Amino acid sequence: MRSGTATKRLTRTLIYFLLIMGVAIWMIPFAAAVLTSFRSNDEIMTYGFLSFPKKLQFTSFIAAWNRGNLKQYLPNSFIITIPSLVMTLYLSSLSAFALSKYRFKGRNILLGVFVGGMMLPFQILLLPVFKLSEALGIYDSYWGLIGIHTAFQLGFCTFVLRNYMVTIPDSVSEAARIDGCNDFTIYSKIIMPLVIPAMAAIATLEFTWIFNDYIWALILLRSEKLMPVTAGLAKLQGQYVMDWTVITAGALLAAVPTILIFLFLQKYFIQGLTMGSNK
Amino acid sequence: MTKKSRLYNPLAPWLFLAAPLTIYMIWVIGPMLYTFYLSLTKWDGLTAPVFQGLRNYTRLMKDPVFFLSLKNNFIWIGFFITVPVVFGLALAMALNKDIRGAKAFKALFYSPMVLSLVVCGLIWSWLYNPSQGLINTVLRSAGLGELARGWLSDPKYALGSIITVAIWRQVGYVMILYLAGLQSVDPFLVEASLIDGANKWQSFRHVILPQLRPISIVVMVISIIDSLRAFDLVSVMTRGGPYNMTSVLANFMYIESFNNYKMGYGAAISVILFMISLVFIVLYLNVVMKDES
Amino acid sequence: MKKLGLMLLALILCASILPIWGSGQTEGAAGASEKGMVIYNSMNGDPEPRRVDEKLVADFAAANGDIEVVHSIIAHEDFKTAIRAYLTASTPPDIMTWFAGNRARFFIDKGLIMDISDVWEDEGWNQSYAKSWQAMSSVDGKQYFLPTSWYWWAVYYRPSVFDSYGIEEPETWDEFMDVCETLKSNGVTPFAIGTKYRWTAAAWFDYLNMRLNGPQFHIDLMIGKESYADQRVKNVFTEWGKMIDKGYFIEDPAAYSWSEAIPFMADGSAAMYLMGDFIRDSVPSSIASDIDFFRFPIIDPSIPVGEDAPTDGYFLAANAKNPEEAKALLAFFGSKEVQEYTANELGRLPTNGEVDMSIFNESQKKGIEMINTADFVAQFYDRDTTPEMADEGMNAFMEFWDRHTAADIDRITSRLEEVRQELFTE
Repeated sequence: MRSGTATKRLTRTLIYFLLIMGVAIWMIPFAAAVLTSFRSNDEIMTYGFLSFPKKLQFTSFIAAWNRGNLKQYLPNSFIITIPSLVMTLYLSSLSAFALSKYRFKGRNILLGVFVGGMMLPFQILLLPVFKLSEALGIYDSYWGLIGIHTAFQLGFCTFVLRNYMVTIPDSVSEAARIDGCNDFTIYSKIIMPLVIPAMAAIATLEFTWIFNDYIWALILLRSEKLMPVTAGLAKLQGQYVMDWTVITAGALLAAVPTILIFLFLQKYFIQGLTMGSNK
Repeated sequence: MTKKSRLYNPLAPWLFLAAPLTIYMIWVIGPMLYTFYLSLTKWDGLTAPVFQGLRNYTRLMKDPVFFLSLKNNFIWIGFFITVPVVFGLALAMALNKDIRGAKAFKALFYSPMVLSLVVCGLIWSWLYNPSQGLINTVLRSAGLGELARGWLSDPKYALGSIITVAIWRQVGYVMILYLAGLQSVDPFLVEASLIDGANKWQSFRHVILPQLRPISIVVMVISIIDSLRAFDLVSVMTRGGPYNMTSVLANFMYIESFNNYKMGYGAAISVILFMISLVFIVLYLNVVMKDES
Repeated sequence: MKKLGLMLLALILCASILPIWGSGQTEGAAGASEKGMVIYNSMNGDPEPRRVDEKLVADFAAANGDIEVVHSIIAHEDFKTAIRAYLTASTPPDIMTWFAGNRARFFIDKGLIMDISDVWEDEGWNQSYAKSWQAMSSVDGKQYFLPTSWYWWAVYYRPSVFDSYGIEEPETWDEFMDVCETLKSNGVTPFAIGTKYRWTAAAWFDYLNMRLNGPQFHIDLMIGKESYADQRVKNVFTEWGKMIDKGYFIEDPAAYSWSEAIPFMADGSAAMYLMGDFIRDSVPSSIASDIDFFRFPIIDPSIPVGEDAPTDGYFLAANAKNPEEAKALLAFFGSKEVQEYTANELGRLPTNGEVDMSIFNESQKKGIEMINTADFVAQFYDRDTTPEMADEGMNAFMEFWDRHTAADIDRITSRLEEVRQELFTE
């Protein structure tokens, strides 16, 4: 018995050790990026990366902020991301509900259609969707971007949400039906509250994806004043000039909103993905 | 589960589907079908497409870059459905227990996922930089200078260097998915197996793993999709170079379409990519249907 | 928690929808007002060119109070991707930056570019611009393009490094090879080069091909009239391969972007760099005054001298919604005053012949002299040939760099030839 607890303690220590080692290795790129962004390009070029920092400075962040014109781009990113996120979550909850709680002809084909679209390399849709935006009169406006982000992410969101909704026992909705609830009430009052944590989890992922898009913005927008923050990041990698300290500083700045969203929704994140299992 | 006949209006699912499906049809399925048509044309993106039958496809069959990209995609899949899955599952098992700091560990391992692929690519390009970058600097100062190399320019190492970044980012994601899956593992069954004399490994292998099957399928699907769609890291770090050695299909398609203005050819590449994906979609649907009936 | 979630969603929804309506309305209002406007998209993403670009737009707006300029600057590489969408959009940018020569011709031939002969006529450019610029901008006697600035390519080096080894600027190939040997024997790599984005290697191909086979063969190869399997092309690769094998280039060039290879020059471990004049924008201040250049040495004096001198300028979209305003802005960009200003600020060379030569510094005069005494001026590999051919070609240069036995060269050139036939016989 004694030796049993001893081995237990030993394995526990070993696991801890491995975890800490793992995290340390995982964090190296971050640490390197942060360290780089606080130093001057000249210093790194002259003394090498491993030299002890002579002077820490914010100038790279200021340069990235100004040169990348992030002040102008950052609000645009939110204007594009948030409506896309809300719409794609709402619409995919509808389709996921239909595809998980009903059995009807063509259900599996439709599921295949949603999953299939998710597998498509989106780059090939660029020009067709550009033509579509032209035809709809929403080229060079936020609507064009919101439209494609909403639609394109429907595939993934439907896929994941459906997988969670399937695990909610049918008895739950059937009980409600016997109580006289109609279909929409079952969706909005019974199922939706149960999947809100799952939505939070998907929202975290989707926010990161939509927020970080650049190619769609490049093709569907013409005016710089509408461009998202990723355009600013692209600008930092000039045609002729490559300044690593400013680029990493800009990259870190552009990542701040996604990090904040993650920290904010983190509480629901794991809980969200576990949805449906034991509720 | 046996009671299949539910009491509902047969129109109900379609009412729920109306809005999402319409939007999906307009923005995704429509353009996708148009892409199928484009793959049969020669199109520069400027003037009207010219129909030319299967010519793009016969050309693809003779294009060494296409096969190189295809091979790289499959190498990518090979790594992606093994390394991050094993590490992610191991981490999930370790962190599923009530150990101190579990929350912090989870957040830290997941954190690369919060960064965009472009940002990851930029940061790692800097680490890989042969003269100033961290990796070579460390190797040289550790007296291992002969191991230092141009990680992204040496054709032997470039693809591996890129996939490493992708794995770095993916492990936390898989971990989170498995942590979610582990919540649905019945703790009584695990305990029962241990009481029955199974060791930890046996109980993991024969009790936990089978119960993780649904989430494992999701992980596999996501890993395969991500591998087939791999684009940003390659685009940022090497643009497919040196001489196409790190080219993957999405990247090849993008270069043909938007650098070389061969939209029809690019469309044909996407269609093939889509066909490959379709195989996995059908496999997935089969599994799902079997599980649910 | 459910309530919190829903409230949050509602709040976010309201907050985010409002500015969209707002922006939509201002957009509409601007279009509807009496004030004319012009949409101008440019690719001057780097800090200095960007500053000058913005300054010019501000100056134009100040001088033309009735025209509002909607100016967007898009990063260079991305602009090249986006231009297809721009030119085919129903509301394209009215005026855009672009490359002279074949890259412009491609769009002109498709009817996407506006005929601006009237501007050339009204502004007197037919007289004030050299005939070569006019020819470069014309198709069937009509002008579609306005070249505004150009720069030259040459071999850049640090005079102090040359001095310390008693080296002088080489003019012939033998002298050039001697220089390389001397440097090499002193432990200095002759050439810095960063080929991560490939085009730096294309410069070597351009120059070796022009020096060995003459500019006429080079340009015929670029437009698909000559074969890549030609022995003359193989000779280029053979000569180039010899230099690589002798260790005349820094190791692992594909790992560096062109500017990341500059530190090798700055710390003295490499001596020269075949580069465009924009290299001056990127050299560290410590060596800025220690940079000079010479013409790529002559291999065979009986062959006409060709040089690369890429030219940038502007064109108008054929279906521009604001042609009059765009032409006014174009006239402004082409004017002597603006060209003088940009030449002063950025060191790029003007095209307008009325610009006073005395504003140039010694190095610029030397560059102009070098181009003026050339028999032929090419644009650059990826500007002279088609985009597809350039892509294949530059990939081939990268592969060649790593593998360049005679068999490899045969294989690489015959593959390029297959591509050429595919592309140019359609």
